[in-house]
Amino acid sequence: MAELQLQHLDKIYDNNVQAVYDFNLDVKDGELIVLVGPSGCGKSTTLRMVAGLEDISRGNLLLDGKDITQAPAKDRDMAMVFQNYALYGHMTIYENMDFSLTLRKENPNVIHKKVLAAAEILDLTAQLNKKPSQLSGGQRQRVAMGRAIVRNPKVFLFDEPLSNLDAKLRSATRRDILLLHKRLNATILYVTHDQTEALTLANRIVCMSMGHVQQIGTPLELYDSPNNTFVATFIGLPPMNMLKAVFEDGRIKGDGFDLELTAEERAMLAPWNREEVIMGVRPEYIAEGGDLTLRVSTNENLGMNTLVHGKMGENTRITAKFRSWANYKNGDIVPIHFTRKLFFDPKTTNAIRKEGK
Amino acid sequence: MSEDRAIQLDRMRFTKNTTSSRLALLAIVFDVLFFISLYKSDVDTYYYTILIGASIIYNLVFLLATFLCSEGVKNYQVSYSWVMMALGVGQIVRIFIIPMNAHQAVVNNAVVMGDAQFIRMVIYLVISAVCLFAGAIINLNKSRALSAHLASLQG
Repeated sequence: MAELQLQHLDKIYDNNVQAVYDFNLDVKDGELIVLVGPSGCGKSTTLRMVAGLEDISRGNLLLDGKDITQAPAKDRDMAMVFQNYALYGHMTIYENMDFSLTLRKENPNVIHKKVLAAAEILDLTAQLNKKPSQLSGGQRQRVAMGRAIVRNPKVFLFDEPLSNLDAKLRSATRRDILLLHKRLNATILYVTHDQTEALTLANRIVCMSMGHVQQIGTPLELYDSPNNTFVATFIGLPPMNMLKAVFEDGRIKGDGFDLELTAEERAMLAPWNREEVIMGVRPEYIAEGGDLTLRVSTNENLGMNTLVHGKMGENTRITAKFRSWANYKNGDIVPIHFTRKLFFDPKTTNAIRKEGK
Repeated sequence: MSEDRAIQLDRMRFTKNTTSSRLALLAIVFDVLFFISLYKSDVDTYYYTILIGASIIYNLVFLLATFLCSEGVKNYQVSYSWVMMALGVGQIVRIFIIPMNAHQAVVNNAVVMGDAQFIRMVIYLVISAVCLFAGAIINLNKSRALSAHLASLQG
């Protein structure tokens, strides 16, 4: 497999619209990197630049130390799996999988071995004589992956491969991709707008917004220590509650709460004394019992846990995720407490960490 | 059996018999060349007109049957090999119907079919027949090999 380096990549279209700004990333051998972000954030554009389907306006792309910035797509030794599968409807699954190798005039016997091996990995052996229209969405996506596998590329590129699948198939195919990555130890660049996919699949996540990289880190880093309010609200479902607050004399105060902070939190927020900050509380950081009160508006039972939506104080809307089956009704008052809090600078939206302002 | 041969046999489980199929299509091409040449003949006697009418109908049947055979042998179906052989025999027989009768025949003081046209038509029909025979034999061999291979896999 391979190491990939994206150095200061910019994408500027002919109409001067810039889609990607100064993208830097070192992908290690065998790493699965997920580019995640909302629609239009530049993640697919970045992937297409790596694949050679879009010109790179500025910056360098290195594969195993070799500059491939200007190399045509066919010479990059990368295989791409698309959202819409891009299978040939008139060909059988076997023919779809062997097509790229046949075009390269490889030995048919070698092609046969590769196709059978890929079909075995993806559990498609029984489907090889069928046409794509006879397969389910998940199977078609596996065929698309098989077509990539037979080429034995240095890097696999996945462009929202699960977006066309229903929830159940998505979960199963996600597991397939994870197993595939473990089995092949492949270097993978994976684009999705679904943060669940990002959290479950990635070795590292690149979170993007408006063409800018917001944070690069492991799923836990992005979940536990988001760099800014964008990452904090984008990663995690339901999103993090963002509460306006003022730090004053060791306490954090806002609409519906007045909390004493720990010594560590006080030290961290010292430069913001008597200033407004944003307090981030994930729904799962809210537990039943305590001094705060939540006035319930709606209650969603999800089986293992319950999402309770409501207000603290006059206008602070929050969502809590309780680890139990609860049946709160509209207007119920639930005592709560926060098990963990994050703080953000309202001017820059950046996280407030130990290092101070 | 060598490994290469074994893989070749196994590939047939998933690949089509394009050789036989293409030979059948080639037979159609040469049949078309044949009847394009044939209908150039300036024949206006009752005898030749009815023969040519029958030939046109046969051509339609031949085109349809050969096309069906081309699709059938693509999937290693043995029965289509026999049909292709029969069609091949038919192409040879056709040499002795119109071309032989028309060759150097004189109608209204005119030669119906000269040497050049006759030879060209014979060549077209012979090539068409050879394609059909070859396609049929290749399909027979491949089908038998594939059947044996599938039986060995099941065994």
